[in-house]
Amino acid sequence: MTLLAVDNLCVGYRTRKGFIEAVEGVSFVLKRGRSLGFVGESGSGKTTVGMALMRLLPDNASIRQGSIIFEGQELLAMPAAQLRQIRWKKIAMIFQAAMNALNPIHRVNDQIAEAILTHDPLATKASAMQQVEDLFSLVDLPADRMRDYPHQYSGGMKQRAVIAMALACHPALIIADEPTTALDVIVQDQILSAVKKVQKQMNISLIFISHDIAVVADVCDDIGVMYAGQLVEYGRRDEVFEAPVHPYTKALLASYLTLDGAAAQPMPFTGATPNLIDPPPGCRFCDRCPLSDAACSLDVPEYAEITPTHKALCFHCK
Amino acid sequence: MEIRRFILKRLIEICIIFFVILTVLFLLFHLSPGDPVTKMVDPTMTPEDAEHLIDQLGLNQPLWLQYIYYLKNFFSGNFGTSFHYGEPVFAVILNRLPNTIVLFTTAIILSAFVGIFFGKIASWHKGKQTDTWITLGALICHTIFLPWLALLMIWVFAFKVGWFPLNGMISPEVWTNPSAGLWHKLLDVIHHMILPLATLFCIHFGSYLLIMRSSMLDTLKEDYILTARAKGLDEKVIRNRHAAPNAALPVVTSVGLSLAFSINGGALTETVFSWPGIGRELVFAVSNNDYPLAMASFLLIAIVVLLANLVVDVLYAYLDPRIRY
Repeated sequence: MTLLAVDNLCVGYRTRKGFIEAVEGVSFVLKRGRSLGFVGESGSGKTTVGMALMRLLPDNASIRQGSIIFEGQELLAMPAAQLRQIRWKKIAMIFQAAMNALNPIHRVNDQIAEAILTHDPLATKASAMQQVEDLFSLVDLPADRMRDYPHQYSGGMKQRAVIAMALACHPALIIADEPTTALDVIVQDQILSAVKKVQKQMNISLIFISHDIAVVADVCDDIGVMYAGQLVEYGRRDEVFEAPVHPYTKALLASYLTLDGAAAQPMPFTGATPNLIDPPPGCRFCDRCPLSDAACSLDVPEYAEITPTHKALCFHCK
Repeated sequence: MEIRRFILKRLIEICIIFFVILTVLFLLFHLSPGDPVTKMVDPTMTPEDAEHLIDQLGLNQPLWLQYIYYLKNFFSGNFGTSFHYGEPVFAVILNRLPNTIVLFTTAIILSAFVGIFFGKIASWHKGKQTDTWITLGALICHTIFLPWLALLMIWVFAFKVGWFPLNGMISPEVWTNPSAGLWHKLLDVIHHMILPLATLFCIHFGSYLLIMRSSMLDTLKEDYILTARAKGLDEKVIRNRHAAPNAALPVVTSVGLSLAFSINGGALTETVFSWPGIGRELVFAVSNNDYPLAMASFLLIAIVVLLANLVVDVLYAYLDPRIRY
């Protein structure tokens, strides 16, 4: 059952230097209970997509076209009051920097209970606190630390608290934006296990945003690779991970060092992402692409369907 | 518990600092030009009488011995007798201090609350007309020259319109009238207080507003505000529960400093309005070589600055749970 359908989403930012086309023609479908990972480098537009889904883009951003259908409703046309009902109750978020995602002057349990009390008219202060306690045990946080302030937590604990907060209203969808980036690998692994566990247990759909393709492959059913604001490759985990077709995905995988892989030397790739204020007319990857030819720099490629679930934005991937 | 230990630690520090100030002040007064005796001595006095007076005051003793006496007197609460008033300095100060405290504390607390409130509103409507007008008003208030504003206030509201008394703190006819009740006397003081209060309010409120506004604008960029918005909270809740308490912290520092410097900083206002406070007394004492009174006033300023800093530190710890000493 389709939970979220994003079609031809285009988002830009007005800046002093010009209009940045940060997200260009992104389309995808997310089914209930499934997880989708967006991977890409900084500035590829993955966070912008996540924020657009929550309609939490900064003031200088504008959604130029596209549609976001969530549970049959168009989010982009929704008035603010109705949107507030959707936020957190239906779509919750785990933020990039958990360190700063909690308000320093309020107790952790109060901040989580606040979400419950805002969205559940039947909840009382006591019942909300009981729920917070349950959430704490769900994410393996000691309940006796509930009344602490955020600064009294370690980085991993804050991240768990943020996850507990995201789960507070039993949302249908959680958007996790680099939830483990600031953590060391061991804590990262624990947090990822916690995310996977609750996602399956509570049958929540997940959009997982990361620059780390290995992390995305570990957590997600589907993978979308983003480059310069476009979704260049999209497919099932195995399809994208085992049989990538887009030259960027291939380069990304080749540049990644694995522990168990053959002694393959990681392949760094040269060049820089194009300037999104005035993007090149053709394929946005063509300057760095080993396969590019004259047509690539002139025409915008269309999505090529490799399998019904696997597509790529490239002339050369058929 | 922690906070109690912190206060104790700070109190010890304060004592040490105060002792240093005490010593510096002693030396400073001995270095200052002008002989205290010439001020006290009557021209008709014979040199012998003058000599006798100097002897009596201990001014011919070695410096270290004078210093010991000075400390001994200070700790026994003996600040000497004011040359001008002929009363114990302690009594003069005790008489003036409450007047200063009433005026300045009221003005500063009031302007802090109003400043925080409008600063919050201005930042919330950043770049819009509301913000422009509020900020412009605050800037004008903040940059206006205090004595000029004070004189203008007196000229317009006391002299031209005649709503308020020209100066002073009480009307003798009310206070000497035996039938006037406490309520009547209180009203009289408030009536006198309105102009100086309005002047001080104007000056302080602008700076608090501007601090609050810029602090709030920084706070609104914080990630936890995004979290609050993502949680679907009402904008008012975000503003008042999540942003404003964080943003108000720098204002608290500023309020503490204003309170600390209200004694010397208030000299201008008190002089213009003839408010019988400690600031005016200080100016008077210095310009009239009333050494005991001046010395005691300086010490009082030191005490108030030190204590105000302590209060701000404690308040900070209360407002911001991250601060534990």
